[in-house]
Formats: sequence, structure tokens, C-alpha cells
Amino acid sequence: MADLMAYVIRKLLLAIPVIILATVVVFMLLYLTPGDPVSALSPPHATKEQLDAIRQEWGLLDPPWVQYGKFLSRLVHGDLGTSIGFGTVSTPVSSLVTQRLSNTLMLMGIGLAISYSMGIPLGIIAALRQNKLADRSIMVFTLVTYAMPSFWLGLLFLLLFSVYLGWLPAKGTTGGLGSIILPVMTLGIGNAALTTRMMRSSMLEVIRMDYITQLRSRGLRERDVIYKHALKNAILPVITVIGLDIGWFIGGAVVVETVFSWPGIGLLLTKAILNHDFPVVQGCILVMAFFVIIGNLAADIFYAYVDPRVRLG
Amino acid sequence: MNRMRISPRRRLNDTLLAWKMSSGVKQFIADVAERGSRNTMVVIGTTIVIIMIAGALLAPVLPIVDPAQLDPGFEEKGPSSNHLFGTDNLGRDVFSRVIWGARISLLVGTLAVLFSLLIGMTLGLVAGYFGGKIDYIISGTIDLFWTFPAFLLALALAAALGPSLTNVMLAISVSYWASFARLVRGQALTIRERQFVEASRALGANNRRIMFTHVLPNCLAPLIVWASIGVADAITIESSLSFLGVGTQPPEASWGYMLFRGKTFIEEAPWIATFPGLAILITILGFNLLGDGLRDVLDPRLKGLRR
Repeated sequence: MADLMAYVIRKLLLAIPVIILATVVVFMLLYLTPGDPVSALSPPHATKEQLDAIRQEWGLLDPPWVQYGKFLSRLVHGDLGTSIGFGTVSTPVSSLVTQRLSNTLMLMGIGLAISYSMGIPLGIIAALRQNKLADRSIMVFTLVTYAMPSFWLGLLFLLLFSVYLGWLPAKGTTGGLGSIILPVMTLGIGNAALTTRMMRSSMLEVIRMDYITQLRSRGLRERDVIYKHALKNAILPVITVIGLDIGWFIGGAVVVETVFSWPGIGLLLTKAILNHDFPVVQGCILVMAFFVIIGNLAADIFYAYVDPRVRLG
Repeated sequence: MNRMRISPRRRLNDTLLAWKMSSGVKQFIADVAERGSRNTMVVIGTTIVIIMIAGALLAPVLPIVDPAQLDPGFEEKGPSSNHLFGTDNLGRDVFSRVIWGARISLLVGTLAVLFSLLIGMTLGLVAGYFGGKIDYIISGTIDLFWTFPAFLLALALAAALGPSLTNVMLAISVSYWASFARLVRGQALTIRERQFVEASRALGANNRRIMFTHVLPNCLAPLIVWASIGVADAITIESSLSFLGVGTQPPEASWGYMLFRGKTFIEEAPWIATFPGLAILITILGFNLLGDGLRDVLDPRLKGLRR
């Protein structure tokens, strides 16, 4: 277990520069906006006095590194700035984000569950029936769903299930439980393709190994060979990519939330971009990046826990 | 390095080298074409890609309606013999707009991949070949960009820079180069240890020569595979950004932008959003098939390149 601790500490230390990069990127976004940064932070048609007040408040007259330092120190205190686009009352970005965080996490959590509960069995079937009809159909299905843009799949679902069939609500959360079905299906199916391909190739690799041949020659039932022995090893690489999937999922969530007006951080972000509400854009990107980094870290540590070769290598 | 006049002999050598390299590349292309034509994925992928590129290039001369032409009284009409894919909310022909949209989507996809390929290849080659401190700095940067989700970075950059064609390409290139750099660095690391490189160095070849004649040609196969898949990824990112309203803007309406506009009319005129989406699906499928097929053809060891 000592080597596991060392591995965890090494990974934690490596995550620090990534988090710093994320804050630098988010901080620099303000300077990438065309024109004076103050225009990105002020409501449209702001007066000269308002502009000066904003420059003062944001410390835009300080040199950049001083500004970055202040930005960091505000972050450490949980202050993500104030929204400039939602009505006249200035709402703190942190409260806007926390209100919507649970919706996004729920969407991503159920989406992940769907993608794995579809992808893992499909991948196993495809591997066991390699080059047969079942395998071919599953592979064609994954090729098509992988190429399908999630916003388009979402629109098609919307059209079929809520416009034509009228089974499910189209937008928002007003429909209770029913309103989450379409968003999570859209998010889950898109990613299931990757899980299926991964599971298939990993299973194909494992069932060709000597220990599987040996188990078969000892006369074990095929079912036991596959599910008791092969699956344990084959599923490992699939589990590790959960970390990578989180990055994919958060991008997918932004798009899917926009299609279905699902009130999460993704929708908040796209609305803020269109409203030029820059502090909210920065806050959302930062929170999302933070979750991705934590997700990657957790997946790495989990992998090292289940597979000692990783932490020793 | 001292600035000597290049001797005639050196010049002859360089010419010979260029000739040898070009014949090597020709041999490589002929070889790939020969083996690729026996792979179903490569054949289907190539066909789709060629049709899409031909449509995009020939759009101005094809006998189709002007994509900007309004048809008064014909707004939001479904597919018919006059308008194969129907008309949009302003009475413009959706079929013609999809074909013209291919120009934008493919342009963004290929140029963004080309930029990130150039950045990634150069940095990866330098890092992997020289190693040491240079490698430490460059590969650290590669890892940082690799960990940061590409779509989120592209979205952040596009949001800050403002919606435009150039900004989208820039945003995609900045967020995508790390995958090329990783690939080339990995190849360069192994190849520089090989005996033929040692032999070449013993014969007096300099770093530049070794990099361009030995290391780079050996990266060619995985780079081609990854570039094809990269175009598909770039088109996905572009269309997602445009769908969110931070991508391309009219008059350069890409497929994603058409969906962004068409989603408002999804209930009464679903064809406005459906057909551009189908075009995205087929194009991405084509480039993915081509990439996956080429990977199998070029190097079965690359199976793990992409899950």
C-alpha cells in the first residue's frame, strides 16, 4: 500500500500545474476578447463613469500579474466574480453555478451509467461473436452513433418522442422525471459507442491469452471462463477511460443542456456567452475544468488501486 | 554553425537525397493505395470523402439554386421536386445550402487539422529527438494541453475571441495540437535509438538530416491515420461550436450554424435542421472509416491509438 500512497501523491502533485494552467487560461480569456477588456465586463451602453468604476473594481489598471494574483486570491476564497447579465441585481457567479451544478452532475451521472450499461454488454457480445452478424451489426451501430453529432441526435429524439409521439416533455425540468430521459439518453448513447469499441478490443485481446486457453483445456464451462476469468482483466482498460470520458461528457453536457434547455452549468455557460456575461463564462469554464481534472485524477488512482502494475511501472 | 558556401558535391548530395525521398514517398503512396483498395472501410471512407470534397469544390458550377436566393411564398416548405431538401424559414433552398455548407465545414476541418499538425509535428519532433531539458519543457506543455478537454478549451477560446471562421480554426488548432505532438514525440523517441540512425550519424549526417530523412518518414503512417480522424474531430468541434452560436457566422454558414438556426423551427419545419445534421454525420463517418481503415492497413500495431 505504500507504493499506492506514493503514486497518489505523485498524481496529486502533477494535477497542480494543470489546475494552475486552467486558472491562467480562464484569466487570459479576458485579454483575448477583442478591444478593451473592460468592454467584456460591462453591460452594453455603459457610461464612462460606469466603465471607470468597473476598471477600478476589477483592478484593470494594475499590471497583469498583479491582476492574476488578485484573481487567484479571490478564487481561493470561493469568489468567482459577479454576473453582469442577469437582470439589474448583480448575482455572484458562485451562487449561479452552485444552483445548477447538481442538475449537470445528475445528467452526467445517469448518462455515464447508461453509456456503460449499454457499451459493456454490447462490447462483450461483439467480441465473443467476432466477425459474425451480431458483431458486424454492433460495429456498424457504433460507427454511426459515434459519428452522430449529439445536438442532432438530441433534436431527432425531441422530434420523435415529444413532437410526433408526445410521450415526453421537450424542454426544461417541468415534466418531472420524464424530462430527464431524453437528455440522458442523448448523452449516454453518444458515448456508448466508445465504450463498446473499447470493451470489444480489450475482450478480444484477453480471450487470446494463454491462461484462458489453459482454463478452457481444463474443461471449464465457457460461461465461467468468460464471466469469471476473462471479464475481470478485460474490463480494466474500460474503467480507466471513465476519466477521459468525463472530459468528453462535460462537453457533451454543454451541447445537450442547450438542446433540451436543461438548467445546468452548460446552459448557463452558453447563455452567458450569447449575453456577453463574461464573469459567468469564466466561472463556468473554471468549474468544469476543475471537475474534469478531479475526474481524471480519481480514475488514475482507481486504476492504480485495482491494477498494481500501474503504480509500480 | 558557420556559414560556409555550399560545395557542389554537397548540393549534388542534397538533390540525390530529395530524389530518393520523393521516390520513397511515391512508393509509400502506391503501397497504401494498393493495400487500401482491398480494405472495405478504406474504400467506403474514401468514396464518402471524395464525394463530399467534390461537392464542396464544385458547388459554384453545379446546377443548383443560389443558396442565398429567397423564394417568396415558399417559406418552410417540405421536400419536393423543386426543393429536394425543402426550404428554410426565408424560403432558401436547403439542399443548395447543405452543399455550400460543405465548403465551410470541410475548410475549417482540414485547415484546423493542418495547423495543429504543423505545430504538433514540429514540437513533438524537437522534443523526442533532442530529449533532455527541451523535451522536459515541451512534453510538460503537451501533457497540460492533453489533460485539458479539447472541446472545453475550444469553447472558451471561441467565446473570448468572438464568433468567426478564423477564430474557430484557431480555437480548434490550439486545443488539438497536443495529440499530434504526443504521437510524433513517441515515435521520435524510439527511432532515434535505432541502429540506422546511429549508422547515419557515424557517416556524418547532421541533426536536420536525420530528423527529416529518418525520424519524420517513420512517423508518416500514424500521422496520416491521426490526421484523418482529426478532420472528423475538428468538424465535430466546429459544428458543436456553431450550434452553440460561437462558431462560424453568415455569410459563411457551416452545417452547425444551419442547425443553430434550424432548431427554432424543429417542430414546424424539421427538414431545416435534419439535412445539415445528416451531412455532418455522413462526413464524420467517412473520415472515421478512412482513418480506422488506414490504421489497419498501415500498421496493425496502432490498434491502441484510438479506442
